[in-house]
Amino acid sequence: MSNEATSTRRSFLKGGALLAAPLVAAAAPAVTAARDDLKARLARLEDEAAIRALHRNWLREVNTRAGDATRKMFAEAELALDHAVRGITADHTGAPEAIEVAVDGRSAAGRYECAVEIETAIPKDCTLAQMAYAQGGGFVRRTERRALKVDYVKAAGAWAISKVEFAAI
Amino acid sequence: MPGTPYPKEQMHRIAYTKLSEQQIASKLSAVSGPASASPLSDVFIGKSIRIVTDKGPALAYTFSKNNRLSIAENGGGAVQAGYGALTLGNIIFLSHLIPGTQRGYAVVVDQSTNLATVFELWFSGYEDKREVQREIYYGYVEQAGQEAPKARHVTTNRVEGKGFYWKQDAGAETLEFFPSAAYSNFVELSRLGGELSFCAPSDFIKINDDFCIYTRTECEFSGTFTAYVMDLNGVEQVGVRLGFDANDALEYYVFRGKGEWLGQHAQFEKFGDEAGSVVPAAGPGETAAKGARRVYRPFKTMAKMTKAEVDAACAKRTDAFPVRTGGPGAQMGGNIGPNTKWLAGKTFTLRYDHAPAIEYRVEDAETLNWRKEGDSNWTKARYQGWESMPGVIMFGHLLEGTPDHDGHAIVADFHQGLVTCFNGFLNTPYFANEAGVRTLFGVIEMEGLVPPRYNRHQFTDEMLGRAVSQNYAPGLTSMHLYSTPHSLSWIIFTGSDAGGLEWSGPAAYVKIRDGLFFMYWLEEACNGTLGTILVNLHTMRDVGVGYNCGPQGLNMSAVGAHERLAGQFDIKRFYQVKTSGGIV
Repeated sequence: MSNEATSTRRSFLKGGALLAAPLVAAAAPAVTAARDDLKARLARLEDEAAIRALHRNWLREVNTRAGDATRKMFAEAELALDHAVRGITADHTGAPEAIEVAVDGRSAAGRYECAVEIETAIPKDCTLAQMAYAQGGGFVRRTERRALKVDYVKAAGAWAISKVEFAAI
Repeated sequence: MPGTPYPKEQMHRIAYTKLSEQQIASKLSAVSGPASASPLSDVFIGKSIRIVTDKGPALAYTFSKNNRLSIAENGGGAVQAGYGALTLGNIIFLSHLIPGTQRGYAVVVDQSTNLATVFELWFSGYEDKREVQREIYYGYVEQAGQEAPKARHVTTNRVEGKGFYWKQDAGAETLEFFPSAAYSNFVELSRLGGELSFCAPSDFIKINDDFCIYTRTECEFSGTFTAYVMDLNGVEQVGVRLGFDANDALEYYVFRGKGEWLGQHAQFEKFGDEAGSVVPAAGPGETAAKGARRVYRPFKTMAKMTKAEVDAACAKRTDAFPVRTGGPGAQMGGNIGPNTKWLAGKTFTLRYDHAPAIEYRVEDAETLNWRKEGDSNWTKARYQGWESMPGVIMFGHLLEGTPDHDGHAIVADFHQGLVTCFNGFLNTPYFANEAGVRTLFGVIEMEGLVPPRYNRHQFTDEMLGRAVSQNYAPGLTSMHLYSTPHSLSWIIFTGSDAGGLEWSGPAAYVKIRDGLFFMYWLEEACNGTLGTILVNLHTMRDVGVGYNCGPQGLNMSAVGAHERLAGQFDIKRFYQVKTSGGIV
């Protein structure tokens, strides 16, 4: 992609266009700019698509408790939330997802409204609580609407999650 | 001289022998098959059947007599064994051991559907080797030329809430309550005199709407296994009992029984939820080992302390009503309601009939001064109190400095001039950290108040048979079942609000006013806690105090819950002492 400007055929076309239509020649920087813009747009779309795919995989990992690539930062997010998270589902009734890729294309931020299933452990401080744990319980679950704010970084051509945060809506 | 029906020790106090594998094998080898007080069924004589189970064994049986069979497991060699079978309508219940092993089976066959449920039973499968283990397999009796049926017997919560009186053919009488879909509560009327009820992990399996299978394993006690089919309409049962009694004698017999339906209390699952196995043996994503089940083992896990250890723990930390955000037992006070200021500034004496009178000078809503009548020095104590009904104050405080680290849970009716105190204390005979309790009745002496001379609060059986749920805090909901005049059981609910694990302890019930009952329970051979609550059936709220000592120290904490009345079993008649002598 980066050597497109030196393409022989394109150079020829460019030259021909200059000879035939000097008035258009004045617009050449605009064409280049448009092409650059197209390039940037394409790159951004590719980045957004990659981030969406990453987000989907991450959600799957969180909901199935599989994988460990993002466990540490997810644990930090849970810590900040002060609860264990047992499931996250997209909230399609909320604001649409928003992914913003930085101008340099090396970082991005995503905001996703979702329903978060939160688990709060009961203190094991009495007989009943001990019994609740003995039968595999010992927690209270509830679902809350939250905005999932995710920071991404691009390293070695691939996107990765750098920070996860649950914000109030 | 006539004997009493009471054992020297109740079940939770019996030090059951830790039988070795060899001892168990030796005892099992001495029997060929189950005994029976009723004539055994001849339904199988001369027949051969093959039972196929879904994830378990295929059992090929040939029955030569009404007590002899041969069995081949999974196509293996046939083994001769003694057996016993009893029928109940179309249902056949049979049981046998595999000679030379510590294994056996209990099998239920429904002749109308050819469906079968197989219980594989074995000893020496747990650290306490006498505890019978069980695995349940669902299947059918193979019929030549016919396709295997698709239906199966299934685990169910449809038995939850029921209660029965049973009298077996050999004379054993019990009350059996099913307030949980995973545990059961039973009262041994004839074996133990019916003073206390006990709890055991249980299975509930639906054959059809009229017949079901019930099991219990007396974990933490003798480890004895009981299973029976019951006809819910006819109130009849056929089943088996297998285990070792308190004298380590093998009990292995099939039985037939008749009973009475005692009632039905409410279930709290969502309508339409009829799921069984409400307490799965394995966690999410895990596979349960053969025979695995969730068992509450409070005696195994409790701290067992000496008097010296108790004294040291109390010296290290003694806490009364720690702040709710922390401290032992804080969750139990989640729905306690506001602390009353009614006592603040008042001076009065609680004069007990058979214990020293206690004088009080109350400073504010959380501080009082107390002294035994005749003492010159006051002791300051932190307390909390709640006005459950107008004029009725429940409050509690520790009596620091007393040799047994006493705590008082008190209900004082200032309109009637009456008081009842549950006097908790430590240094009890079995484990020093296990609470004991004395019930003190008496009167209130206070300026402007004339107490009665003869009238007192009294023990009552009005709560007997009732089931009352308590929501203490989010995720902490239980139910009490007042199953005997001297004990209660408590059931913790699962996430789907099915009854889950259950345990029981000695208890007593005192009537304060109509609809107002003061009760305690002792978590003996459990956490050692003394729980006290004042139950107001008008407001359906209870308030109370818990009193507990463990390695962390002595603690008195608030207890408060929102309640729901779940129903009442008709059982008072089983606890009346009859003039002809004896109980029941």
